[in-house]
Amino acid sequence: MELIRLKGVSKGYKKNVILQDVNLMLEAGDVLGVIGQSGSGKTTLLNLLVGFIEPTEGEIVYYSKVEGKEKDLNDNLHKIKRHFGFTPQHNSFYPKLTVKENLIHFGKLYKIDKKTLENNITSLLEFTKLSKHHNKLAEHLSGGMQKRLDISCSLVHKPKILVLDEPTADLDPILQKEILHLLEEVNKQGISIVIASHQLEHIERICNKVAIVHKGKVHSHGLIEEIKKPFIKDHFTINVHSGKEKESVLEKLKNLQFKKIIDKGHKLIIYPEHVKDTMNGLLNIINDEGLHFFDMDVRKPTLNEVFEKIALDDSEPKEEEQ
Amino acid sequence: MRALYLITKKNLKILLRSKASALIIIFAPLLIILLLGLSYNNSEQFGLNIGVYSSSFTEDVDSFVTILEEEEFTITKYDTLESCIDEVKRGTTHTCIVLPESLQISGNGQKEIVFHIDPSKINIVWMIQETVKEKFNIKSQEISQDLAQDVLTRVVNTKTKITEKNAEVNALKEKTSSATSTTNSVKSSLSKLDLAAPLATYDVAALSSLTSGMETAIKKIEQAITAVDSSNMTSSKVAIKKPLQDALEELGGTNVTSTSLGGIITSLQTDLNSAKEKLAAASSAVKSSNTNLAAVSSALSESSTTLDSVQAGLNEVIANIEGQKVTEAGTLVSPLTTKIETVSEEGTFLSYLFPAILVLVIMFSSLLLGTTLVMMEKNSPAFLRNFFLPVRKMTFIISTYLTNLILIIFQIVIILGISLFFLKDAWSSLPTVALILFIAASVFTFLGMLIGYIFISEETAVLASISLGSVLLFISGTILPLEGISVLLRKFTYFNPFVIAEKLIREVFIFNTSLKVIWLDLVILIGYALILFIIILILESILHKHLMHRFMRHHHRAQRQKGKKNKNDA
Repeated sequence: MELIRLKGVSKGYKKNVILQDVNLMLEAGDVLGVIGQSGSGKTTLLNLLVGFIEPTEGEIVYYSKVEGKEKDLNDNLHKIKRHFGFTPQHNSFYPKLTVKENLIHFGKLYKIDKKTLENNITSLLEFTKLSKHHNKLAEHLSGGMQKRLDISCSLVHKPKILVLDEPTADLDPILQKEILHLLEEVNKQGISIVIASHQLEHIERICNKVAIVHKGKVHSHGLIEEIKKPFIKDHFTINVHSGKEKESVLEKLKNLQFKKIIDKGHKLIIYPEHVKDTMNGLLNIINDEGLHFFDMDVRKPTLNEVFEKIALDDSEPKEEEQ
Repeated sequence: MRALYLITKKNLKILLRSKASALIIIFAPLLIILLLGLSYNNSEQFGLNIGVYSSSFTEDVDSFVTILEEEEFTITKYDTLESCIDEVKRGTTHTCIVLPESLQISGNGQKEIVFHIDPSKINIVWMIQETVKEKFNIKSQEISQDLAQDVLTRVVNTKTKITEKNAEVNALKEKTSSATSTTNSVKSSLSKLDLAAPLATYDVAALSSLTSGMETAIKKIEQAITAVDSSNMTSSKVAIKKPLQDALEELGGTNVTSTSLGGIITSLQTDLNSAKEKLAAASSAVKSSNTNLAAVSSALSESSTTLDSVQAGLNEVIANIEGQKVTEAGTLVSPLTTKIETVSEEGTFLSYLFPAILVLVIMFSSLLLGTTLVMMEKNSPAFLRNFFLPVRKMTFIISTYLTNLILIIFQIVIILGISLFFLKDAWSSLPTVALILFIAASVFTFLGMLIGYIFISEETAVLASISLGSVLLFISGTILPLEGISVLLRKFTYFNPFVIAEKLIREVFIFNTSLKVIWLDLVILIGYALILFIIILILESILHKHLMHRFMRHHHRAQRQKGKKNKNDA
C-alpha cells in the first residue's frame, strides 16, 4: 500500500537547482535508503518528504488509510506531520532533560493520553535498552544511547513513517550495528523507514528499496536487487598477444556460446551466453593456449559498487564497443 | 612579533567577515554618535512644561505667563491648584507655579510665588527650580526697579514742588518785610501826631451870662423889631427900628468886657488854629497811614494767598510721600519671594531613585531573558523536532513569554521584598507597583524575544538586547534629562516604554496615585505588549522556515565536519 509519492518534484533556491524531477514512492513496510554523494540533495529530498520544505515544482501526496484518498502533503501538513517521526543527523532532544523527561515532553505535546504515553515510553525504553538510564540527563548519555533516545523521541507518538538522516554517522561500528538492529525492529513493528546515509553497506543491510540521488536527480529507484541487476558483471577479459596467437584464440572462442567479443588489442572482452558453460570452455582455452587471465567477476555487485559505478560512469567517458 | 601580527590580522578578518559583528563594529559608534547628535545638538531652552495656577488670571498674571512662554517654556494654565499639582505628580508638567492675582506691590507685603516641584526627579529638580526662579528674580528685579523708580519720582516731584514753593516763600518774605516796614512807617507817622488840647482857662460864666443876656436882649429886640414891623407906623418905623438894631448890635457889651471877650476869642482862635493845624497834620498822617495800611493789607492778603499756595504745595508733597505705600526696605528690594513646596513627602534619594532602579532591573532582565530564551530554543538541538509537533507557533511564543515572566516575577518578588527593608512605608503601593512591573516586564520580554527571533547568533542577539536596553535607558531621562534633547526626539522619548513604566511606578510609589488616574499609560504599555506579540507572531511565521533551514544547514555542516574529523582521527 502506497504511503507517500513524489510526483515530478523539483526544488531549487533562486537559480540553484538542488533536485530535479524526482519521482519516488514509499509503500507501507518499506525501508527506503536514500544514497548519494555529499551535496547530491539527499537531505533536501528528506526535507521535502517530511514537508519541511515545499517543492518548487511537482507535488508530494500522502495516502490516508483512514480517508482512503490522497492528500497534498504541504497543503495538509498540519494533519499529516504527526504521522512522521524525524531523526535528523544531529541529536534532536533537550540535553538538559533526562531521558524520560524528553520522552514525556514530546509525547505530551503529541496529546497522547497519559496511560498510552506511559505504555509507549516503557516499551520504548525497553526496546531501545534505555530503561536503566531513564533518569540520566540526555547530555550525559553515550553517543549510541543519545542516538537511541533520539529515535525514541521520534517514535514516542507511534508514527507511520520514520525518517532518519545519517543515523549511524559518528558512531563506532558496534553502536552502528545496535542502531541498525533497532531500526530493523522498528520496521518489524510496521513502521516504514526512510534513511539517508553514506554508509551504503548499512543501507544494503536493512533497506529493501533504494533511491540513488546523483547530481540533483534520482538516478535509480526501486528494490535493491533490481537496482543491482544492470551492474552484475557479465563478461570476462583475457590478455592475448596480437598476431597468430590472437587469431588462434579467436578461432577457438567461436566454439563457445557468447553474445559478443570486444577486441581491444591485447585484451579480449567476452560476453557469454551462459556464464557457466562459457566459463568452462574459456578456462580450457586459456589452459591450452597458456593465456594470461586478466579479469573475471561473476558475483553480484554491492550497492557500494553500484553507486561507485554510477558516480564514475557519469564522470568518465564510456568504453568503445567493437 | 610576527605571530602577534598574524593573530591580530586573523581576528580582524574573522570579526569583519561575520556580518553581525561587522555591522555592530561599524554601525554601533555611528548609531551612538547619530543618536547623540540628534538628541543633544540643541541650543534651545530646556523643554520645561510649566503649570500655572492663579486664583484669577489677571492681565498682570497673563503678562508674566507670556514672559515665560517667550522663554520657550510650555505653559499650561490650571483652574485648580489640585489639578496643577496632580500634573506635576504625573510628570506632565515639571513644576506648578502658584501666582498671586497681581504681581503689583501695593503695600509692604511681599508677593509670594509658590513652586510645587517633584523632588523625585532628582536629576532635574534643581535645574527646574533654578531656571524658573531665575525668571522670577528678573521679574522681581523689574518690580523692584519700578518701585524704586516710583520712590525716586516722588522724591523728585517733592523737590520740584519745594523749589517751586520756595520762590513763593521768598516773595512772601519780601512782602512781609515790606509790610513790616510800612507798618513801622505808619506807626512812626501816627506817633508823630500832636493831639494835645490847649490848656488856657476861659471865663465861661461871664460868657454864659453874656450869652444869656445877649440872647435875651436879642430876643427882645427881635420882638421889638417884630412889633415894629407889625405896627402901622410908617414913618417912625425906621426910626424906631434903627435904635433897636443898634441896640442889638451893642448887646455884645452887656455885662462882659470887650477885652475879656476879645481875649477869649483870640485865645479861642489861636487854639482853634492850632487844633486845625494839628487836625490837618493828623488827617495827612491818617491818609498816609491809610495808604500804607492798604498796602500792608494788600501785602498781607497776597501773603495769605501765597501761604495758601505753599500750604497746598506742602499738602501735595505730603500726599505724594504718603502715596509711597512700600515703606519696607525688604519689600522694596525683593518684592517677589519664592517658596518651594514639594508635591510629595520628603524622602530619601533611594525612594526617589527606586522607580528608575526597578524598571532598569526589569528592563535588562526581561530583554536579556527574552532574547536568551528564544535563542536557547532556536539553537536547541530539539528545535527541529518542534516542527513535527502538533503545537501552534503561538503556543511556543506564549510559553517562552510565560517562562520569562515566571523568572521575572521571581525577581520582582525578591526586589520588592528587599526594598521593603529600606522603604518600610511602601507596603500599600506594592501591589500596584508589582502590576506595573508585570506589564512592563511583558513589554520588555517581547522586545527581547523579537531580538531573539531577528538575530542569528546568541552573542549578537545578547549584544543587541544590551544595546537596545542602553538606548532605551539613554533616552529615558534617567541619566540625562529628556528636557535637554531636541524637541522632535523628545516627543518620541515619551513613548519609550522605560519612560512610561518609570513614570507609572513613580506616580504610584511616590504619590500613591490610584490606578484610575494612570490607566491610560497602563493601557499604552499593554498595547505595546500586544503589538509586539503580534509582530513576533508575524515575524515567526515569516522566519520559521528560514530558521529551520538555517538550523538544518548549520547542523548538517557541523555534522559533516565532525564526520571528517572522526575519519581523519581514525
